[in-house]
Amino acid sequence: MENTPSDLGLAARVTHLGKTYGSSSTAVTALDDVSIGIRRGQFTAIMGPSGSGKSTLMHIMAGLDTATSGRAWLGDTEITGLADAALTVLRRRRIGFIFQAFNLVPTLDVRGNILLPFALDGRKPSTTESTWIDQLIESLGLTDRLTHRPHELSGGQQQRVAIARALATRPELVFADEPTGNLDSRTGREVLTLLKAASIGYGQSIAMVTHDPVAAAYADRILFLADGRVVEDREKSSAEEISGIMLGMEQRA
Amino acid sequence: MSARTRARRNDHAGRGASVLVAALASAFGVVLLEVTSVMTTVLNAWGVTDMGSVRITLTIVAALFIAIAVYVSAIVTTNTVATIIAGRTRTIALMRLIGSSARAQRRAVATDGLAVGAIGAVAGAVAGILLGFVGLQILVATDVLPDLAYSLIQPVLAVPVIVVVVSTWAAAWAGSRRVLSVSPMQAVGAAEERSVEEVTRRPRRARIAILMMGSGVLLLLAGVAVGQASPLGVLIGVVGGILSFSGLVLGSHLIMPPVLALVGRVLGSSAPARLAAANAQRHPERSARATIGLVIGVTLITMFAVAGSTMEVIMQRTMEDPEARAGISESVSVTLAVISVLVGFSALIAAVGMVNNLAQSVLQRSREIGLLRALGFTAVQVRWMILAESLQMAAAAVAFGLVLGVFYGWAAAEALFGWSVEGSGIVAPAVPWLLVVLCVVGTVLLAVVASLVPARRAVSVAPVTALAAV
Ligand SMILES: Nc1ncnc2c1ncn2[C@@H]1O[C@H](COP(=O)(O)OP(=O)(O)OP(=O)(O)O)[C@@H](O)[C@H]1O
Ligand SMILES: [Mg+2]
Repeated sequence: MENTPSDLGLAARVTHLGKTYGSSSTAVTALDDVSIGIRRGQFTAIMGPSGSGKSTLMHIMAGLDTATSGRAWLGDTEITGLADAALTVLRRRRIGFIFQAFNLVPTLDVRGNILLPFALDGRKPSTTESTWIDQLIESLGLTDRLTHRPHELSGGQQQRVAIARALATRPELVFADEPTGNLDSRTGREVLTLLKAASIGYGQSIAMVTHDPVAAAYADRILFLADGRVVEDREKSSAEEISGIMLGMEQRA
Repeated sequence: MSARTRARRNDHAGRGASVLVAALASAFGVVLLEVTSVMTTVLNAWGVTDMGSVRITLTIVAALFIAIAVYVSAIVTTNTVATIIAGRTRTIALMRLIGSSARAQRRAVATDGLAVGAIGAVAGAVAGILLGFVGLQILVATDVLPDLAYSLIQPVLAVPVIVVVVSTWAAAWAGSRRVLSVSPMQAVGAAEERSVEEVTRRPRRARIAILMMGSGVLLLLAGVAVGQASPLGVLIGVVGGILSFSGLVLGSHLIMPPVLALVGRVLGSSAPARLAAANAQRHPERSARATIGLVIGVTLITMFAVAGSTMEVIMQRTMEDPEARAGISESVSVTLAVISVLVGFSALIAAVGMVNNLAQSVLQRSREIGLLRALGFTAVQVRWMILAESLQMAAAAVAFGLVLGVFYGWAAAEALFGWSVEGSGIVAPAVPWLLVVLCVVGTVLLAVVASLVPARRAVSVAPVTALAAV
């Protein structure tokens, strides 16, 4: 019998995933037979040159987009073919998101943005959840920013609010697409340290898309994509090693 | 659909709404003048003497209602243009960055407004003339009107057309003011769109508005008081009414946001309802302009209805004869029906503006809606959010207009006829229940219609696509 993803210790898994955009004559293959698992409790980086399919992969794994072929699971739930409403609830309760930019709802203040996943569910955080959120806010240094609106915050602060929101529900998996892409290197390092701390501190599973070797060096494992295929799968590596691999991939291309 | 095509489609939609508004105003003006001319011809044939003053009275009444329609449509157009520009801020900033002057940018917007006004006004006039022609044929054929030599097409019909063109142009010019406040920095700047209106509060305008409202209300109350003793009260009252209402329109950006907030609280505390409430107040000036036209329309309708009914109550007191009472009842309700239709047209124009405003603001927020969908907002929640926003605007405008109209109508009746009753002529305002029912039904209908298209479009865009939009 086939092992379930959780038997394998996976937070998410895809098998033989394919994604094609457009019709036959102008078709673009964004993903080509991708099979990977994101291990539970690990900080995984997904790397690759621009256009290699990183965002597409993330969107499909997170139930934001549908694959052309193949299957995808979140935990033990197969999400291939799930209806929009079911996917929506799944995203709300079991997944956290951090995007490169435009992460926050402009009309809500910092607290409103952090509590948005609960509000969408029509409930208030429980006592344990509230304690956890207060702790998050404290550790992210947002305590005296709670009533500010997004446009009153710097890019780094906005990104920290997005992290707080993504971690607030303790989701099974957090997806981050270029979370440091809009930040200077020092602010970027702060954000990465915070993600790393969540992974080490309480085993938060994180999948982060990036093309910055320094960012990928924070991860426990690095998957490399090129032309819609997985071409490398490395355990923790230094920024230099990662740069070397990337350089090799670009030269082969 | 790329962000660029979306922005362009957005502009087209806005322009379409402006053409429609100009056409409605111009058609209304043309038809009203035609009706005036037909009535004059008929009365003349009946051998009414003193035709000169009849003609003047009819023309003044027509001009009054045309002025209201043109005024409301100018507000709507100003708002539409300002909303389009808000959505184009980044493009304008980019043009400024690469060296285009703000004045040139603004002139382009105003020229566009002139074209829109001209197309709309002429189309409306043609439609109005056709309508008048067909309507007259039917009325004559069914013997409602005698078969006389009516002259429908007259030089005077050019007046509403010209007025609409000029007012649309002026409205576009006024609405384009915010082009000047776009800085080239906004092309490279922050990811969040900040509302320009938030930054530019206008204290002088606020002071003038408050002064006008305060003194207007005082004069109005003085009019009511004087009206208890002499018919002169109405003169004071009219000045007070016009003054206070103009102040209200001028200060709508101060008054409407709290009214919207109040109504928003009624919608509940679910996430969609709270976001909707926040959205309606995101750009206070924009939502004020989107709703004030409707407030004006509903206030006027209510004012006439309440004034008529209250007047009736006062006059019933002075009259013993039941036949005379019935006669008054009858003529009051006929007059009210006619006035309601005439003012109702302005309310319709305002409603078009509100529908367009909501459609545009939802389009401009597609990225934010994509984010909400990604985070777990269901399609139903998105629809409800947009409906709630629409409901909030419509309900705030109608309810506020209703309250204002009751007050103005009551004051008008008291100032006009209070003196005719022995002892205290002060009565409670009489509010026709039919009016209230119509207002509630109208509100719900308008809110649903306004939210239909934007809601469908918002949920049909995949979250990934919406998030990718730049
Ligand atoms: N909506 C779309 N329609 C057509 N092609 C698309 C669409 N989205 C992505 N693609 C194509 O799919 C491929 C993979 O895109 P994807 O966004 O996943 O790349 P990426 O690795 O995230 O790149 P980057 O690092 O630049 O963000 C690219 O060739 C891209 O042009
Ligand atoms: Mg990408």
